[in-house]
Amino acid sequence: MSRCFPLLTLFTLVSPLGADVDFAHEVVPILEKNCVECHGGDESKGGLSINTRALIMDADVIEPGKPEDSLFIEVLTDEDPDFRMPPPDKKDSLKPEEIAVLERWIAEGAKWEEGFTFAPDRYEPPLKPREVKLPKGAPGTNPIDLIVAAHLRDKGTEPPKPLDDRTFLRRVTLDLTGLPPSPEALSQLPSEGKLDRTAAVERLLADNQAYAEHWMTFWNDLLRNEYVGTGYIEGGRQQVTKWLYRSLLENKPFDAFIREIIAPGSESGGFIKGIIWRGVVNASQTTEIQFSQNVSQVFLGINMKCASCHDSFTDRWTLREAYGLAQIYSEKPLELVRCDKPTGEMAVASWIFPELGNVDPAKPRDERLQQLAELVTHPENGRTQRTIVNRLWNQMMGRGIVHPVDAMNTEPWNEDLLDLLANQLVESKYDLKAVMRLIATSRTYQSRTEVRDENEGTYVFQGPVRKRMTAEQFMDSIRSVIGVWPAPDKNAFGKGLTGGQLTAVMEAHGLKQWDNRPVRAVFAKRDELQAALGRPNREQVVSARPDIVTTLEAINLANGPELAGLLKAGAANLQGKATPRDLIENTYLTALSRKPTDSEVRVATDILGEKPTPEATEDFLWSVFMLPEFIYIN
Amino acid sequence: MNHENWYDEAHPELTRRRFLSALGATTAATFLGGAPRGFASSIKQPEATADSCILIWMAGGMAAPETFDPKRYKPYEVGTPVEEIISTFPAIDTAVDNIKICQGLENIAGVMDRATLIRSHFQPDLGSILHSRHQYHWHTGYVPPQTVAAPHIGAWMAKVLGGRNDVMPAFINIGQQLEGHGESEELKAFTTGGFFGSEFGPMNLPFPDLASQAVKPPGGMSPDRFAKRYKALENLLKHSPKSEELSDYHQESMLRSIDNAHRLLGSKEREAFDLSLEKKEIFDEYNTGRFGQGCLLARRLVENGARFVEVTTEYIPFVHWDTHENGHTTAERMKKEIDRPIARLIKDLEERGLLDRTLVVIATEFSRDMMIEGVPGSTAKDQSRAKTDVLKEMKHYGLHRHFTGGSSVVMFGGGMKKGFLYGATADERPCLADKPVSIEDLHATIFTAMGISPKTEYSIEGRPFYATKDGVGKAVRDVFA
Repeated sequence: MSRCFPLLTLFTLVSPLGADVDFAHEVVPILEKNCVECHGGDESKGGLSINTRALIMDADVIEPGKPEDSLFIEVLTDEDPDFRMPPPDKKDSLKPEEIAVLERWIAEGAKWEEGFTFAPDRYEPPLKPREVKLPKGAPGTNPIDLIVAAHLRDKGTEPPKPLDDRTFLRRVTLDLTGLPPSPEALSQLPSEGKLDRTAAVERLLADNQAYAEHWMTFWNDLLRNEYVGTGYIEGGRQQVTKWLYRSLLENKPFDAFIREIIAPGSESGGFIKGIIWRGVVNASQTTEIQFSQNVSQVFLGINMKCASCHDSFTDRWTLREAYGLAQIYSEKPLELVRCDKPTGEMAVASWIFPELGNVDPAKPRDERLQQLAELVTHPENGRTQRTIVNRLWNQMMGRGIVHPVDAMNTEPWNEDLLDLLANQLVESKYDLKAVMRLIATSRTYQSRTEVRDENEGTYVFQGPVRKRMTAEQFMDSIRSVIGVWPAPDKNAFGKGLTGGQLTAVMEAHGLKQWDNRPVRAVFAKRDELQAALGRPNREQVVSARPDIVTTLEAINLANGPELAGLLKAGAANLQGKATPRDLIENTYLTALSRKPTDSEVRVATDILGEKPTPEATEDFLWSVFMLPEFIYIN
Repeated sequence: MNHENWYDEAHPELTRRRFLSALGATTAATFLGGAPRGFASSIKQPEATADSCILIWMAGGMAAPETFDPKRYKPYEVGTPVEEIISTFPAIDTAVDNIKICQGLENIAGVMDRATLIRSHFQPDLGSILHSRHQYHWHTGYVPPQTVAAPHIGAWMAKVLGGRNDVMPAFINIGQQLEGHGESEELKAFTTGGFFGSEFGPMNLPFPDLASQAVKPPGGMSPDRFAKRYKALENLLKHSPKSEELSDYHQESMLRSIDNAHRLLGSKEREAFDLSLEKKEIFDEYNTGRFGQGCLLARRLVENGARFVEVTTEYIPFVHWDTHENGHTTAERMKKEIDRPIARLIKDLEERGLLDRTLVVIATEFSRDMMIEGVPGSTAKDQSRAKTDVLKEMKHYGLHRHFTGGSSVVMFGGGMKKGFLYGATADERPCLADKPVSIEDLHATIFTAMGISPKTEYSIEGRPFYATKDGVGKAVRDVFA
């Protein structure tokens, strides 16, 4: 951790002997020795960080000029060991002469060296787009591969092994459409190594409906869009379902997409409206602050949650900036509230990267929102571009180039790679599918997943990371295997605040009535099984689903009524349609996208018997669905 | 009563950890129970005075003046001005000289000498009453909305302490249906592991008499077939050409979880879920309905290693303790439902030597009053459905408004004092709490008894998140024995 003393020399020179306490030489060492371990740098135990004077003042522990009224001094000698600082089981208590220095320091106004901080030096990502100089390579090579190959060489990492056609087709079909490849697509596979992978990617991206149905899950999580849920009870929430489905279906350019969310028309306003609960809410949870937090998180990868209560301890965002964003949205003037205490300072509508321009606080709200939308999508705003391409990379490759994906202030494992994708987004006129295309057609994507340990240290890129199917993918995949899709739920055609999600689909496709197309799980209500499988309730923004399977899920999968019901319907549908051998081969093909081995056929035949009963068929299906090979995307 | 011992007898091999063995290695050390995981804080944890906790939840707002905090009694009489009414039940004696409670709780009165009664619990007035919002606050310690999903206190216990053995789920929630009634989405929002993830979330058992199904094969499946199905999975795994990739930690988590589930389903402890295995006379004693059965189930689960069990009278808007009209009649019925099973639960735990290390807490989201909505001066909307100045009919008689200024909490066992009274509310309206105990402090008391410091923190999104809000909760020291 580095400490910066910009004016140190000058400061000590002008501090005469016997006069004021010397902050740098007397106070800092005491704080450093006794307090910083728990209250400095990234630590803020009990919500107290002493990184800067402002943060100490926020915490109300020092009364400048009055050491006798300062909690900071009181706790040093507190008789109750539970409250004494430093905690007696951690460090010795301060010596009387050390306490005397601190008392004198506070008595003299707790002066602080300008610019001094206990916070560590941090990586500060560039804001503007950056041109990428590609490493040399064979002409026509996917630029991702040029960068990754150079990266691997540089780090001395062995390149991941190439993926076979079949596994590739399974992965890319699940990633782009949410479903495993159909038996037809698999049966058309030429001999190994002969698949035109680029054409396969093109075909999948051209299936607009399947693309929209799959990516709806991702966007519902990010935009907190759910068809029922908290808030609706009071009319305090609004869906964006119709708008979102249509936008995905037509692959709306991402800059237009953002503009319609932030400066919305009648159908896309739900995101900025937030969730209103009945009664008073904490100052950091008003809908205005929700706006500030959610716009920052979703589009800029910035965590504004800390800063909406006090200046952040862990990054550079301040309370004033959090409120500046909130004021853009707010119809009424907002007073800054620090840790639930009003400060008297009024917020000024402003944007957090003023180097790109700013909003005019004098304009009415709708104009301010439009200005904000322009700033978020400003061509020079590389942050927005990097945030979304990093999310797409994370969805397809299993782990972000910047990780976690909501902390875009973190150093990427390869800056050129991130910027290459961001530039691709801009060059393609904000076409998200173009970025996916670039990723999916790279050798990097078309590599085998690495076998990972849970507790590894620094991340080293070694190839794609295994992904777990979402709850929706899992349900849809099972249904496509058993050939039974659910009847539409009545509420899905509703007209009120809740439900109506299938009406949205019908309108987008110009249907007068539901035409019996499969009802994908993304349009179903979140039932107990989907909840157990990790579909969130969308009260908070969610950008990453759980990647492991838990015990309660395993219990639910073993004996929950939902899956049992599906298996029963599946067995009934498959009953008598095929010989056991065909049933085994078809199931392996549709579920795992491969043929069973001879020994698997033997084991499966044992399970099914010569004349499979419905029960035996259910048990066989269950066993296949419980294979990690099914739920994990390899 | 049919004792099903199908699993161990027919398939003794099934209770072992089998699926991980598909790895051919012993890489996985962490299982459902055992040591706390990812314990973020180096904070010193207090010495536990309890190993298990049973939260008896009086959902919908149990009126203290009608239950554990009797006031001036006013019998029903047409023409009585309602503002004269504070309590609609007379007080009765208890096993403790200086503690009286309300008529209708005679059985609990008999075990008050094992209890600490806190009469000065209070909740913030949130400006408008929405039960599920106050319940969210009570169950997580945080007022919604929150920027991250706040874990239920049961999830905290599951996360910090883990299970008491390696089969019984650490956090079990009995009696609340999460579908089909009003505010169900709001209830689901706090009935979760929150940001700890679903591994630490509740096992939900809305119907105690059907609880055994949660640990049994799906309906209609014979035990033999269920066992065969696991065998089938095991064989398919063994013959899969992909098995060399299973050591990937994601895939391994799946095998480990299947093992955990499987061990529970094949363990002796699963019988704890089956109320039909209980002696009939004991079952009958508890059986005042679903709540009473829930108390019995809680006892059986704690006996078999559960860490945290919640039993609720169930929240359904305007039903049970949520009396917007007919308060007296409803309270009378509710007391019939809770009195016998709670008293029996305490005695049973005591007889089994478990009470000393089991903390039983009776609590509710707020109290009720005849006149005041929220606290005096609150802007909360009056939601009474029996508005009147004087009593005209029976439905007017009762406490129909939500009062956040003072409610009662009863705590048994788990290191609490016996026959002890803490705090009080004023004798006349407004019945505000003296020596007030906030939700943070009450949680700090419960957590401390369980050996969890109220300052315990986990880092989420780069931010500390504490067992009690901002780590400020202070245990009420006086109630510890």
